[in-house]
Amino acid sequence: MKIDIAHIAKLSRLRIESDKMEKFETDMSAIVDMVDRLPEMAEELALDVENPMHLRTDEAQDHKFRRDEMLSNAPEVQSGCLVVPKTVE
Amino acid sequence: MKLFEKSAADLSAMLQNKECSAVELTQDVLAQIDAAEPKVGAYVTRCEDCFEQAKAIDKARLAGEELHPLAGIPIGIKDNISTKGIRTTCSSHMLDNYIPPFDASVLQPVRKAGMIITGKMNMDEFAMGSSTETSYFHQTHNPHNLECVPGGSSGGSAAAVAAGEAILTLGSDTGGSIRQPASLCGVVGLKPTYGSVSRYGLVAFASSLDQIGPLGKSVKDVAMLQSLIQGHDNMDATSAYRSYPNLLDKLDGNVQGLRIGVPKEYFGAGIDKCVKEAVYNSIQMLEKNGAIVKEISLPSTDYAINTYYIIASAEASSNLARFDGVRYGYRTDSYDSLTEMYEKTRSEGFGDEVKRRIMLGTFVLSSGFYDAYYKKAKLVQRRIAQEFSAAFQECDVIITPTSPSPAFRIGENIGDPLKMYYNDVCTVTVNIAGLPAISVPCGKSSDGLPLGMQLIGNKFAEQTILNAAYGYEQLVGGFQVIPEAFCTGGANA
Repeated sequence: MKIDIAHIAKLSRLRIESDKMEKFETDMSAIVDMVDRLPEMAEELALDVENPMHLRTDEAQDHKFRRDEMLSNAPEVQSGCLVVPKTVE
Repeated sequence: MKLFEKSAADLSAMLQNKECSAVELTQDVLAQIDAAEPKVGAYVTRCEDCFEQAKAIDKARLAGEELHPLAGIPIGIKDNISTKGIRTTCSSHMLDNYIPPFDASVLQPVRKAGMIITGKMNMDEFAMGSSTETSYFHQTHNPHNLECVPGGSSGGSAAAVAAGEAILTLGSDTGGSIRQPASLCGVVGLKPTYGSVSRYGLVAFASSLDQIGPLGKSVKDVAMLQSLIQGHDNMDATSAYRSYPNLLDKLDGNVQGLRIGVPKEYFGAGIDKCVKEAVYNSIQMLEKNGAIVKEISLPSTDYAINTYYIIASAEASSNLARFDGVRYGYRTDSYDSLTEMYEKTRSEGFGDEVKRRIMLGTFVLSSGFYDAYYKKAKLVQRRIAQEFSAAFQECDVIITPTSPSPAFRIGENIGDPLKMYYNDVCTVTVNIAGLPAISVPCGKSSDGLPLGMQLIGNKFAEQTILNAAYGYEQLVGGFQVIPEAFCTGGANA
């Protein structure tokens, strides 16, 4: 199957350099052809009733992190806030 | 014999009997890292405070404090497990400078036990690969043949144990990433049951398949570390509520009456002859010593790789959406808009294999394709799990090869994703079904490369597979893990 790499890349928020486009197209087509081979299944997906999920009570808890700790890995910070490009004119 | 050549179990006894100190052991392992690392390249980051950690343990022991049996044992941590204050990169340019502000839950018992953290182990970028060749930083070499890959994605963790650069290591396994490198490097690696070890703080690749587990020189070593890290954790919503007994207490190696299932689908045309022979010989050895061997069939194995790559990539495309250059990690230098910043950051931060998997995941989840791929794969996943469940009605362990071939040469498969994906053909079903499995060395190829045998158990039957593996280890007189070139007076490879 031929895959529209440019479209999938856009959905994935990725850019593929033009010199790599052909290799990505070939590889992705081969991979999709491989995973395509699955049996027809009549069943439907259902919740696993034998192993139900344990949900914890919805209680607010004080977190242990300091603001400066959480921001220490951010690429750009100003006055204790994350900086991102302008999104609203 | 130098200290780094000994097993964790032996070193634990020596430390407790004061035959050596934690400082001496650490010194020995650090010297081995200095000697072997230029050839092996197992580490991404080395910890500078090993001696301080070791001194504190020796001081506590001298003061008569009661210590955990693993206190003072050096351990390497795969670089996708968050370590507070220690750089955690996932071997990706994206997280080149990321220093976690918190520890993964597994690190809490490791630190509490007083294990010496030596550093962070190299891996395939974001655990996507079977050769550690997709690491952004450097290639890791197989200590048994430096021109060969160590396997992956936990290649650094396996190579370090095989070269004596750590006594124990932690890896993670999404489709075989602990067992396959363990097999290729001739060490023991355990992928625990899904839900038995907390994933909190493990950088997510495919959350429904990922599991942290131990690698070591012997079955006992792996049982010791697994006993330490297993258990329920409130921070992981998929953590299993149950009691977790210490796995050493009942480790007797008794294989009398053990029912072994041998699935014919795992010994097909794609598996090297030397691998098949080595595994069959090992099964025969177990049979001669009282095990009952039965051929079984797991017919959906044929669809395992397809199912795995759909589910794993779908989850990866969602999990890796968080890397956007806003809160942590790499951000591109120049951009005019938010979308451009996202796209350039991700394109420059991720390697090609990670991009391929994100795009495959995006594709199988995209409008018009979801039913044909993702939904169908989830149905096949259920069928694979049902087939295992039925098989465990008539056997206690299932034995298969771990990897279809011994270690391949660096560069041999990296250009062909399908060939690389095929390396996981014997291991992915275990993750798909959420089962535990261990890989143990079971002989060598004619080129002297290690071969591995996989023992699969029913859910939470870690004790059963560890016992069977321990029985086998005793029958072969133990595993010679470190190749001669890296042993005493060595690092001459």
